[in-house]
Amino acid sequence: MLNLNHPDDERLSGLASHDTDARADSSLTAHVSNCDRCTDLVSELGALRASLAELPDLVPSRPLRLLPEVEASPSSAGWVRRIFAPMLTAGAALALVGMVGTSLPVLDGMASGGAALTSEDAAAEELGGGAPNAAGGADGESVDDLGTQRSVKPEPSSAFLGAGDGGRDVDTAGGGDDEGESLTRELPAERSPWPMVLFTGLAVMILAALLRWVLVPRAG
Amino acid sequence: MTESPTPSRRTPPLPDEAAVIARAADGDRVAFTQLMEHYQSACYGLAWRLLHDADQAADATQDGFMHAYKAISSYRGGVFRSWLLRITANASYDILRRAQRRPTTVLPDPEDGAPELPDIHAVNPVEEATKSELYRYLEVALRELPPDQRAAVVLCDVYGMDYNEVAAMTESALGTVKSRIHRGRLRLRELMAEHRELFTR
Repeated sequence: MLNLNHPDDERLSGLASHDTDARADSSLTAHVSNCDRCTDLVSELGALRASLAELPDLVPSRPLRLLPEVEASPSSAGWVRRIFAPMLTAGAALALVGMVGTSLPVLDGMASGGAALTSEDAAAEELGGGAPNAAGGADGESVDDLGTQRSVKPEPSSAFLGAGDGGRDVDTAGGGDDEGESLTRELPAERSPWPMVLFTGLAVMILAALLRWVLVPRAG
Repeated sequence: MTESPTPSRRTPPLPDEAAVIARAADGDRVAFTQLMEHYQSACYGLAWRLLHDADQAADATQDGFMHAYKAISSYRGGVFRSWLLRITANASYDILRRAQRRPTTVLPDPEDGAPELPDIHAVNPVEEATKSELYRYLEVALRELPPDQRAAVVLCDVYGMDYNEVAAMTESALGTVKSRIHRGRLRLRELMAEHRELFTR
């Protein structure tokens, strides 16, 4: 609404907000000082501005997070945060493998009685000792634990594979096979590695949790 | 240039604010939390008035706090509230821009039903009835403005930022910002015509 007799309303608004260029405009200020309509408009816009400037603060609609989770000292917290998940996963995997390994002889025992010890020892010898041929006469043989995955694979050699495929595996459940008995006797008494694997896994998990607890401060 | 309006009925500075800021700048998380807790209503109010959506306003306020956390070590004096409000306004604008880039996002429609107004009485329990009424009408009228004009009026008249700041924040030319403010203000005057008697003169 342009009124030829009055300055543009936007310029009057500039005057209401004390704009330097509007206040420096002498024709504008001279007009306003002699015009009731424009004086009222400037005054009204000034009152509007004052009321807007008083609008109160508003309470947030929900509790707000006031601090970032990222720690201020990334030197320690940063790398702990990065390795926490892989460490926990690796620990859990180790613990799981250890647990399965530890519990299988018990299952064997339930299924086949005292012969389980034989297979356990064989497994310890083969996997833990890293000397698949150390058992002398047992070379090329496999001790089959009732067909489970824990079947001991002494060496991925063609000779062994051939023997395995040929059905020459020693069945501990059978117990009557001469080769199997000699294997049992000749194997040195060695502790099973599975509990160690289990405990290592648990230790890794606990270490990961401890590192995070100590080095990464909680938000809030 | 505009003269900064004097804020009243708003969060005053902390009594020992300079010391708390210094501790926060040195990495004291408790001090930083104290500052954000103190100013969260101020920041949320600005974000809400720019976004007119409770969730988005809360997100913008939090985003602002996260930016402030990174930036507080380089804070170089001035009114802390204004510094934090500028960060909040930028965070609000980021959200607004993201929403505009995603056409599927439904932006709040000012014409859509009853205005979703926060409870102003909750901030000032002893607020006089007329003032509360005036504030309520003003909030409704602000929602009626086109978004560009509303943002310019909110930043300039409600939060006292100068034209240059508003221009930088809204990525607009100085002349455009001035024009939006003046047109927005005149439109507000029309919308508030029925309630003129509520204004302080």
